[in-house]
Amino acid sequence: MAKVLIATDWLAACAGCHMSLLDLDERIVALLHHVAFTASPVTDLKHPPPAGVTVGILTGAVSNTHNVEVARRMRARCRYLVAVGDCATFGGIVAARNLAGTQAALRRAYLETESTVDGLIPDSPELGRPLETVTGVGDVVKVDIFLPGCPPRADDFHYLFSELLAGRIPTCLPREHLRYD
Amino acid sequence: MGTVTITINGQKVSAHAGQTVLEAARGAGIDIPTLCHHPALAPAGACRVCLVEVSGQRTLQPACTFPATERMEVQTESAKVVAARRFVLELIFSERNHFCMTCPMSGDCQLQELGYRYGLDHWVYPTYEHRFAVDASPAHHLLDHNRCVLCRRCVRACAELVGNHTLDLRQRGAQTMLCADMDVPLAESTCVGCGTCVEVCPTGALIEKRSAFMARPAELERIATTCSQCSLGCGLNVAMHRGQVLRLESLWEAPVNRGLLCRRGRFEALEDHRPRILAPMLNDGGERLPVSWEKALAEAAARLQATDPLRLGLMASTRMTNEALMLAKKIFLDTLNAGQRGMVDGVCATFPTAERGRLADLCASDAILLAGTDPSADQPVAAFLIKRAVDRGARLITAGKRPGELAAFAEMHVVPRQLEVAVDALLAAARPMVVYGSGLKKADRRTLQRLAGRARFLALQPGVNTRTASAVDVNGTLEPTGCDTLFVIAGEENGTMEALAAGIDRRSFVIAQACYDSPLAARADLLLPMATWLERSGTLTNTEGSLCRAHAALPPSGQSRPDWDILGRLAETLGLEDDPGLKRPERRTRRTP
Repeated sequence: MAKVLIATDWLAACAGCHMSLLDLDERIVALLHHVAFTASPVTDLKHPPPAGVTVGILTGAVSNTHNVEVARRMRARCRYLVAVGDCATFGGIVAARNLAGTQAALRRAYLETESTVDGLIPDSPELGRPLETVTGVGDVVKVDIFLPGCPPRADDFHYLFSELLAGRIPTCLPREHLRYD
Repeated sequence: MGTVTITINGQKVSAHAGQTVLEAARGAGIDIPTLCHHPALAPAGACRVCLVEVSGQRTLQPACTFPATERMEVQTESAKVVAARRFVLELIFSERNHFCMTCPMSGDCQLQELGYRYGLDHWVYPTYEHRFAVDASPAHHLLDHNRCVLCRRCVRACAELVGNHTLDLRQRGAQTMLCADMDVPLAESTCVGCGTCVEVCPTGALIEKRSAFMARPAELERIATTCSQCSLGCGLNVAMHRGQVLRLESLWEAPVNRGLLCRRGRFEALEDHRPRILAPMLNDGGERLPVSWEKALAEAAARLQATDPLRLGLMASTRMTNEALMLAKKIFLDTLNAGQRGMVDGVCATFPTAERGRLADLCASDAILLAGTDPSADQPVAAFLIKRAVDRGARLITAGKRPGELAAFAEMHVVPRQLEVAVDALLAAARPMVVYGSGLKKADRRTLQRLAGRARFLALQPGVNTRTASAVDVNGTLEPTGCDTLFVIAGEENGTMEALAAGIDRRSFVIAQACYDSPLAARADLLLPMATWLERSGTLTNTEGSLCRAHAALPPSGQSRPDWDILGRLAETLGLEDDPGLKRPERRTRRTP
């Protein structure tokens, strides 16, 4: 049987969810008999293959226009989209910016920091523009499976992959794999 | 009381008439989730998490307030109910900041638990964007409006349990906010800082500052013990984390206080930073020399035996355990016949002909006279009970030179010479009660004597075990200058030691059994290190006569030992045979779930 193709990507994320995925440790070896990770931020190939994958995993919140593009590209190239981690599901710690407002947060970070001299808010056209409101991935594209957690534990990833390989879509997480922190 | 039979999820359940659907279900072991409901508080129906389907009702009804009636059919987990509960939870989560990863209560939050139970894995409604205030003005707790779900548990606890009515809600609908008094910071409000609101808060809106973010609830163990701050002997839980005391919590099953604690008992009891005495020490010309327990006890025994009984003094603490007091009686009164004895705290004499009241009687009393005592300062939990009685319509009369805090809740305040007026008022009541303290003067006692036989009398003593201390007769008129050898058991009292130390004759030999360093400890010729209230097990008899059990949460610091252990070893050193009636308590630990 052909391996199930998986691609992962991150938006406004701290990388903790990917670290937690790697915490599968030796279970990754067994997993790789059944799946192939085509692209991820922690491998050489960064972008999901245009030919598409079965499972797309997104971590991190939608914070700027670049995040929106990445989310849409992943959605277009995968069959099942999984939002992983509190940021991708709820907005998470990144959404704390909503309390201050984007412009105030930019000013504080780039101009008003105590150590800053002649600060400048980055505005290169190559950069994504910050959005007014930080949201989870589900506010931008359709998400099939939500796996919250800050980060989800390796066991939760293992449960997700086991279910998917068994042909089941875990739309309703059991209590032991649902957590908000 | 009649019974009704209702059907819950197809199961026949019988309930008392007047019980709610929730009570009927829980009585039958059927779980209905709740959020604003708390067993110690009147139901409010504020959160709508307990919605159930009830036959004959057009809409879903909150189980916590809906009365069970004959032949009622209830569905607690039907698809309609579950969908409604999810909807309710989604709405609650959509207001304010309910991000768990930055909340100290994550893992011990009832809203989080409900989110898990109903599988909320993402938010249906837009992300919150409003920022609410945090009121961190109180000394020991803070109110974070961002985590508040407006369940009104704290409002009800403040009113129903503490009788203080500080907390309330202002505005309506989405504008509703919790507030103190007329919307002032908590520290400027009438808040007494007892922390009952913190205890009942289901989320992280009201949290204790000291223990926030310090431990995960799964890592805690709880040890039930008795507070030693005043003579009420309130039961409480010591929450322990990896061998350290994390915080003190309500013990709802405690018969004396039913979960109530005051600021001193819940918070300040952990703030004693006086230096401890950690080893037996001999004072050698101003220099303290650590000695072994054997040497210290042998020295103490030799001194005690060599002293003329008439010039031998015992100064006992009213915070000692019953076991230690019995041993002190055996050693100093029965064996050594110590001629001088006294207690660190004063004691208020009882009314021998009057019926002794209990704390629970306060709740049933219709007229309370408060004389020579200010419980809001000294025994705050008693003040809570008195305020609750006033809420229920009881008349409160305070008497004393100056009106105390409770005078504001009283129908009238009388100065001592007007005490007759108060007595007349009490004689007209059906269940009058006199609550008095050591401030009561002799003349006033005579006036109050008229109430003996009509009213119940409750003494508010200073120390947690004043009752046993007076019963074993260690109280007397100690004359510090008249002692060649003085044995002082210094509990954890503050402030009283300096005057005592100053009064002791320069030539007398002072043996002090003490927890903390103090002017008295500095004056002592021989120091015996004693365990604190958190480090000793034993029993205490509170002011109403209830036996309260103390369980050590911590091992004694350094070489210190529990009060009864020191006196037991001293008795052995003195050659007193071991009396089976004076069995020392083992280090018992009672864990509560």
